[in-house]
Amino acid sequence: MTSENDWPDSLIPIIEEFKDCFDSMDRYELLFDYAKKHPTPLPPSKWTESNQIVGCQSRAHVECNLDEDGNFIMKGGADAQIVQGLMAITAIAVNGLSPTRVSQLSPEYANVMGIQSSLTPSRANGFLNMFKRIQEEAIKLS
Amino acid sequence: MSNYYEQYNSNAHRANHTLADEATTALEMARKNIANFFGTNPDQLIYTSGATEAINLVAFSWARQNLSKDDIVVLTEMEHHADIVPWQQLSKEIGIEVRYVPIDTETFSLDMDAFSVAVSGASLVCVVHTSNVLGVRNPIEEIIQLSHSSGAKVLLDCAQGAPHEKISFDVMDADFVAISAHKMAGPTGIGCLLVKKSIMEKMAPFMTGGSMIRTVTTEGSTFQEGHAMFETGTPRIAEAIGWGAAVEWLDKFEMTDIHSHVQELASWTAGEMRKIPGIRIYGNPEDREGSGAVSFLHDSIQSLDLALFLDEGGFAVRTGHHCAQPLMDALNVPSTNRISFWIYNTMDEAKMFIEYLNYVVERFS
Repeated sequence: MTSENDWPDSLIPIIEEFKDCFDSMDRYELLFDYAKKHPTPLPPSKWTESNQIVGCQSRAHVECNLDEDGNFIMKGGADAQIVQGLMAITAIAVNGLSPTRVSQLSPEYANVMGIQSSLTPSRANGFLNMFKRIQEEAIKLS
Repeated sequence: MSNYYEQYNSNAHRANHTLADEATTALEMARKNIANFFGTNPDQLIYTSGATEAINLVAFSWARQNLSKDDIVVLTEMEHHADIVPWQQLSKEIGIEVRYVPIDTETFSLDMDAFSVAVSGASLVCVVHTSNVLGVRNPIEEIIQLSHSSGAKVLLDCAQGAPHEKISFDVMDADFVAISAHKMAGPTGIGCLLVKKSIMEKMAPFMTGGSMIRTVTTEGSTFQEGHAMFETGTPRIAEAIGWGAAVEWLDKFEMTDIHSHVQELASWTAGEMRKIPGIRIYGNPEDREGSGAVSFLHDSIQSLDLALFLDEGGFAVRTGHHCAQPLMDALNVPSTNRISFWIYNTMDEAKMFIEYLNYVVERFS
């Protein structure tokens, strides 16, 4: 698992951005902004039972594969913007990494950013379920 | 409840010692008070874990004894899952027909013309007294009259109705009434099934063991009669005592006054919410008969996002399908947000909610 010093380069400025937020409403607003910036969104037409994440209060779907260079790509979509924002940040963090590196990442960044603590327990579990699903896919693709 | 645990914590209906006697007396006194609150006698009250277990008790103890393949059970699209799934299960087991009465999605009311057709030939009608989603109070008097005229028994899910209206079981003439204590100032984990004594005599045990046993030999067993036959294991003594105290407290108020207070808050709040751009309300909270529930959605803020924002402001708002997915399907929405008012809420709280909701909508829509 990664330590705080081993975050992917793309994640570090995002973590700093969230640390600068004044309160949880500011963090939610920032998550809303990131929801619109998802680099690899999964449109609702591609949402299926097999790519649905169990344990998330909203509808959330993830598909993972490798690009032509063998790098990890995570596509995600959710109806709740807060979940979509979390997915977008995760995609920014993991896209382009090797699947082995993705499988070794820690989900702790959500806590460091102050996001997980402001989510309801079931929503936090939903985030962890999403992360676990991504890592399972990364192991399969390694 | 504290007094029970501190002073006479003991099992009821068993030992002969003083503590057990006190526990038994308190349990049965609570039954008497609760039954009296609901306008009936204690012989017609079976303690359950809540309305869900009460409905399941009807399905297991009465329906499995008295219904067969050709029987029809009528439900509505407004029902809570607790009043749908037991009948679907029974349909799978013995082949009963389940009919659903639709709602009019413009008026948020039951289609009574469709009900009149559906009830024909039915053996049992199961209807929610007041919708947990819409806050709509159904025309139960008409439903009971039409059902009985057709020869059908009536089961009312009064989980939401009991906190808003005086339930007088003997007067309303329903055959079964399911109630949960925790929606009317009582503890969680207890409720009851009110059932006419003549019908209770046609019910068989659902579970066995504990208090419901009269004798057991290696050849077989005999059971207690009346409500005792359906109260297995160790009774919910503390919870029953707590519920008894709750109805004693509620009895100090007129239910019509409680309802007027709640309805005033819900009506004012709904009126203010309708002025907020993007808010759509499901139900008729301004209706004098409505409960304190106001279900709503915003057209661009997803319901779970909105619930989290409101929680940040200290407003506990229920979100999701409210265990009423067929109703969500009828309304063509996946979920709603719902605020609920009751006796302890104030107009100041309603005003703070509107102010905060306006702030959230302005910031995130």
